[in-house]
Amino acid sequence: MALIELEHVSYRYPIGSGLALADIDLRVEEGEFVAIIGPNGAGKSTLCYTLSGFIPHFFRGDLQGKVQVAGMQAGSSTLNEWVLQVGLAFQNPFNQISGAKYTVFEEVAFGLENLGVPPDEIRARVDEALSLGGIRDLADRSPYSLSGGQQQRVALTSILVMQPRVLVLDEPTSQMDPAGTREVFGLIRSLAERGLTVVMAEHKTEWIAAFADRVVALYQGHVLLDGKPGEVLTSDALLDKGFGISRYTSVARRARERDLWPSDRPLPVTLDEAAAGFSHRSSR
Amino acid sequence: MFDSIKKDFTTRTLVLIPVAIAINIAVGTLVIYLKLPVYLDSIGTVLVGAVAGPWAGALTGALANLIWGLFTPNVAPFFYVAAVIGLMAGFFGRRGVFQMESPRWLSVVIGILFFFTLAYFLTAFLNRQTDATGYTTYPTPGELLSRYSIVFLLAIIAGALVGWFFLRNGGYAGLAGLATGVVAAIISAPMAAYVFGGVTGAGTDLLVAAFRASGAGILSSVMAQGAVSDPFDKMTSYMIVWLILRALPARFRTF
Amino acid sequence: MNDFSLYVARDSGLHKLHPLTKGIYVLFVLVAGFTLPGPWTSYFVVAFGILPLAAWGKVLGIHLRSVWRVTWPFALSVLLIQGLFWGHGEDLVSLGPLALKKEGVAFAFISIGRILLVMSSFILFSLTTRPDMLMISLKQAGFPGSIAYIFVTTLQIIPRFQSRAQTVLDAQRSRGLETEGNLLVRSRALVPLVVPLVLGSLVDVEERAIAIEARAFNSNHKETSVVEIPDSLLQKRIRAVLTAGAALLVVAGFAWRLLS
Repeated sequence: MALIELEHVSYRYPIGSGLALADIDLRVEEGEFVAIIGPNGAGKSTLCYTLSGFIPHFFRGDLQGKVQVAGMQAGSSTLNEWVLQVGLAFQNPFNQISGAKYTVFEEVAFGLENLGVPPDEIRARVDEALSLGGIRDLADRSPYSLSGGQQQRVALTSILVMQPRVLVLDEPTSQMDPAGTREVFGLIRSLAERGLTVVMAEHKTEWIAAFADRVVALYQGHVLLDGKPGEVLTSDALLDKGFGISRYTSVARRARERDLWPSDRPLPVTLDEAAAGFSHRSSR
Repeated sequence: MFDSIKKDFTTRTLVLIPVAIAINIAVGTLVIYLKLPVYLDSIGTVLVGAVAGPWAGALTGALANLIWGLFTPNVAPFFYVAAVIGLMAGFFGRRGVFQMESPRWLSVVIGILFFFTLAYFLTAFLNRQTDATGYTTYPTPGELLSRYSIVFLLAIIAGALVGWFFLRNGGYAGLAGLATGVVAAIISAPMAAYVFGGVTGAGTDLLVAAFRASGAGILSSVMAQGAVSDPFDKMTSYMIVWLILRALPARFRTF
Repeated sequence: MNDFSLYVARDSGLHKLHPLTKGIYVLFVLVAGFTLPGPWTSYFVVAFGILPLAAWGKVLGIHLRSVWRVTWPFALSVLLIQGLFWGHGEDLVSLGPLALKKEGVAFAFISIGRILLVMSSFILFSLTTRPDMLMISLKQAGFPGSIAYIFVTTLQIIPRFQSRAQTVLDAQRSRGLETEGNLLVRSRALVPLVVPLVLGSLVDVEERAIAIEARAFNSNHKETSVVEIPDSLLQKRIRAVLTAGAALLVVAGFAWRLLS
């Protein structure tokens, strides 16, 4: 059964003119890792807020269609029910630090404290989550004294400790340097491998190709493409629309025009795929 | 009771309040750096009142002074004044003063009225007579106007300039700020006089000294000092909030 | 600790006291200083009720320095203004047209005592109490959690905000904004400095609200806390006695004033 089911979903923010989401259909099975790509303003963040219940419970506006996530319906469930099932993390790690806590340990405990979990159980669950997030060694540090990548891992761990069924991530690495990106992607991959359902808006195509089961391309609020990473990320339909395209894909596309890339071979996204394709060609 | 108040505060408001208090303190410090003759330590309070309503404004003001008081204890006893400032900003906000545009001529009228009143108040206060029985008389308006005609002329010119160049289209916000300042001056005076002997340790003490030298009591000196400094300060704060709200995208303006 | 507070970590009995015990003690001391009669009362309370505790908390030196730093401008101001400009009274010292009046100096003496009491009791409390511990203890005593959240978050935001203010200041100056010169020049600098600072933080507010709601900030459950604050029966009794004592002093103070 699909864990996430959107049918004919349209949404308009309270202030502002156009539709942010226009007739979206999306099904995500339990345990799937789906990446959402799209140019700025395509509706990636809006989709993330819809999946995590913040639309319509935080942003008012006008939501149409059927939104069903982990058995909850957008119209009838409250935000408190949503946050138990769906975890949300986003770009700016600094804005995700609660500010109310002096150590990483207490920061991660914040959500469980709000849920009224008994202190002994909180300690056990926080310990477990810190290990999972790979931040045991940071437990006694101030959240504000950490690097961006570390802060983002603290933010993710603070969500994981609440044991959601779905993890929604809105460009979690967009403000990270390569080292921070690697840290955060490493954590997300290990979560996906444990069977967590992940929906991630992201524009770093090479990472998506390496991790995601499926890619959904959003354009002007509607689904442009939905399929395997290798197909979607290299599709000609993405051209001239402001999508981020891997440099390896662009190089191979030009090479194909000059007959330097095997025409029966799909275009590459990652360095390894490109290298394989070009060496295959030259060895022939 | 706390629960019912809590319902009036959205999460957005609760997140805004610490930011607003930090704005109070950061701008208050910046003003000291720029050596300006105002405090501007209630911009955040006025902002919360304007966007999130009077109760949120009042809470912001009170907590701002109590938290600042952990560091500089002298501001803590004035938490109730800050609360009233936030409360008033909230009521003015509901009336829409931070959204409305005034014609520029109206701003000029408001500026002139303010400076004229200030000049009248000062000259009258400094020229009052107290007889042996303790009965105080003030000079008649005619006397004052003829004796200090140059002062009043300058006040009118200064008021017109302030109205035209500073208040511009924010005349309503400026007027609301003036009203808030007068109230703040009146209610803060008893605390300043009783606990702190009428001084703040800052530059405005010179005014208190001048009023004391004219023979006024401690409480009335402090009140008179406040009546000169506070309306100006709050008018500037309201103007800055008015500018900020105009520059802010609409979706961030409602809480 | 990287936040906006005076807290100084020390291994002392005073630091280990429950924050509410210290808070109620400060309240009691303030009430005593303001209700008991006599010009020396505040000074006695500071000397015997505050300073020994500062020594016990191993913060006497820093306490005295902090109190001095915030008190002397008031003391000087009140002495000069009330001493020199007291309406009528006996001259104590005269220097040309100016004279220190006896009644003015006496009034200043009482005022300085009160200022000293307020400053030294607040500063002692801040020096020895971690703000988050204070808030957790207030929450456990039935204080609304939202106010505790605002309080602690503010203390953590302020240092970051001040560095942001410095960044804006530097950026605008590098674009040629003048921050020196006459009053008009400096006033003109105000708006380009304040508006970007405030706008940036307002846009962040939305994301920060979403982030804490995603962690069940608005949940209807009664919150729990992983941090425990040691308390004892003795401290509970001390708090009860101090509260009763403060109430008694207030009533006695009113009665005394009505009778005399």
